Amino acid sequence: MALTGVAVGMKVHIQIVEGYRSKSMELRLVRRRKSSNTDRNPLKPATGSLFPVYISTDPQHINPHELRDLYTTCNHSCHRFPNLIDSNGQVEPVDLRKLNVALSHSAVLVSVFCKTHNIVGDGDDNLTPSINSSSLSFMGLTDLLQRVTPVTPFNGQLVGFGRAISDYGLTASIYDVMVIPSLRRMGIGKMIVKRIVRMLTDRDIYDIAALCSKNERLFFKACGFASDMLGSTTMMYTRTTSTTQEDDQNISRAGRKLLLVPPLRGVRKSPSSIP
Amino acid sequence: MLTLNAAPPSSFSSFSIAPFDVNYQVCSQLFVPGNLNYWSARASRKLKNFQLKAGFWESIKSGLVKNNTTQVIDPPTTDEEDEEPLPQEFVLVEKSEPDGTIEQIIFSSGGDIDVYDLQALCDKVGWPRRPLPKLAAALKNSYMVASLYSVRKSPGSEGNEQKRLIGMARATSDHAFNATIWDVLVDPGYQGQGLGKSLVEKLIRALLQRDIGNITLFADSQVVEFYRNLGFEPDPEGIKGMFWYPKY
Repeated sequence: MALTGVAVGMKVHIQIVEGYRSKSMELRLVRRRKSSNTDRNPLKPATGSLFPVYISTDPQHINPHELRDLYTTCNHSCHRFPNLIDSNGQVEPVDLRKLNVALSHSAVLVSVFCKTHNIVGDGDDNLTPSINSSSLSFMGLTDLLQRVTPVTPFNGQLVGFGRAISDYGLTASIYDVMVIPSLRRMGIGKMIVKRIVRMLTDRDIYDIAALCSKNERLFFKACGFASDMLGSTTMMYTRTTSTTQEDDQNISRAGRKLLLVPPLRGVRKSPSSIP
Repeated sequence: MLTLNAAPPSSFSSFSIAPFDVNYQVCSQLFVPGNLNYWSARASRKLKNFQLKAGFWESIKSGLVKNNTTQVIDPPTTDEEDEEPLPQEFVLVEKSEPDGTIEQIIFSSGGDIDVYDLQALCDKVGWPRRPLPKLAAALKNSYMVASLYSVRKSPGSEGNEQKRLIGMARATSDHAFNATIWDVLVDPGYQGQGLGKSLVEKLIRALLQRDIGNITLFADSQVVEFYRNLGFEPDPEGIKGMFWYPKY
C-alpha cells in the first residue's frame, strides 16, 4: 500500500478530548440482498447469504487513513458544498489533519468492519462465504483460518462509519454516515444510526438532529427521523459576497464555497445605541 | 512523540515495541482528562476493566499512560488546540443616560454564564424550561458561548456596577468541519438594536477564522428573515435537518 509514503512526517493518531467510551465488541449478522440478475440458480434460496460484520463504538478501532479512504470510496465529503475534482462528481479527499481533529472531538464514533472476502462477493449470490468442497483443495490453511476466524476491527476492512457531535447535555447532531456502495441496502447504515441514537439516548440526549441531502432523506426517515414537528427551518451560512462594496473582504473557503467572514464591528461610544 | 503511522496500516493493531522512555501522548489507550466530561469518571472505570482483559502489550502501555495522567493531551507544536474560543470581552455599546448613569453593553466570549441567570433570561423570552444540569453541561461543552451583559454604572462615587445577562448564543462543533448554532436569545427589552445580529456575526466570524465551514442552525419561523439577513440560506441545495422521533 502506498499509505506509508503519504503518512511520513504526519502524526496519525486520535487523541480523545471528549467522547463516550463504551463496550463495543459486537458482532452482527447482515443478510445480503438478492441480486436482480435473472440468471440466478433456481435451486438457491431467494434471500441472500448471511455474513457477519463487526460494529464498534470504540474510537481506537478507527484508522484515520482507512477512514479517509472510506470517505473517498463512498464519495462523501466533510464539506457540505464540496469541491468536485472531476466530471464524475468525485469529491476531493478529506483533509487528514482536520479529520483527526473532528474525530477526537466527536461524541460518538461508530465503525463497521467486515471480512474482505465478504465484500468481493457482492452482487453474486452464488458465491456464498461458506466453503465449497470443490475449492477446498485450492485453499491454503491461512485462507481457511481467515474464513473461520471471527471478524474483528483488526482483520476486517472498514466498510461503514457514522459520527455524532454533542454538547453532552441537550443536543446532538449526526454527520457522515456512510457505507461502501457494494454493501448498501443491507441494513448496515440503519444499524450505525441506531447505534448512535442509542448511545445518545443512553446519556439522556433526545434532541438529535441529522443534516441530510435529498438522497439521504429517505434513509433517515427509515431510521426514525422526521422533519421538525415544531416547524423549524434548517439554515446554513452561505454568504459569499457582501451587499455593500467593502474593501478587504475576508474570505474563508469551505469546499467550493468562499464564505464571507463578517467584519469586526468597532466599539461604539455614542448617546444612541447601534442602529 | 510516538507516531503510530511509521508502520504500514496492517500493523495498526499490533503495536510495535517502543522504548519505554518514549512519551506516550498518543492515544493508543483512551485518554480522558477528568475535568472535561462528567461521564469520563464512568468511562475511565470501564477503561480500567478493559485494560485488565487486554493483552500483554496493552498492559505495558497502560502502565505508561498511568504515569502521564496529568499531562496535557496536545504537544505545543501542533496548532490543533490553540483554538481556544476567543476569551474576549469588549464593550459593544455605551450609552449615557440623562441622569449621568452610564450603561455599557459588553460582549463576552469564553466566560462562564450563570445557569440561573440564563434560565431567567429564557423565561423572559418565553422559552420552555429545560433541566438546569443539562443546561449547565450544554454550556460547558459547547465549542463557543457568546454572551452579552449590561453594566450600569451610576454616577455616584461608589460606582456600584449592576451586571445583568441580556443575551447569549452558543455553538457546538467538531472543531474542524461542522458547527451548529443553538440558543440565540436577547432580552426583549434590548431587542431591535442589532445586538442579536452582532452576537451571531461574532460567532460566525470566530468559526470561519478557525476554518469551520459548515455553519448550521434551526430557525423558528419568525426568525428565518433575521438569519437570512445575516447570510443564512434555508435548505441550501435541498439539505434539510431531520430530528429523531422515537416511535413507541
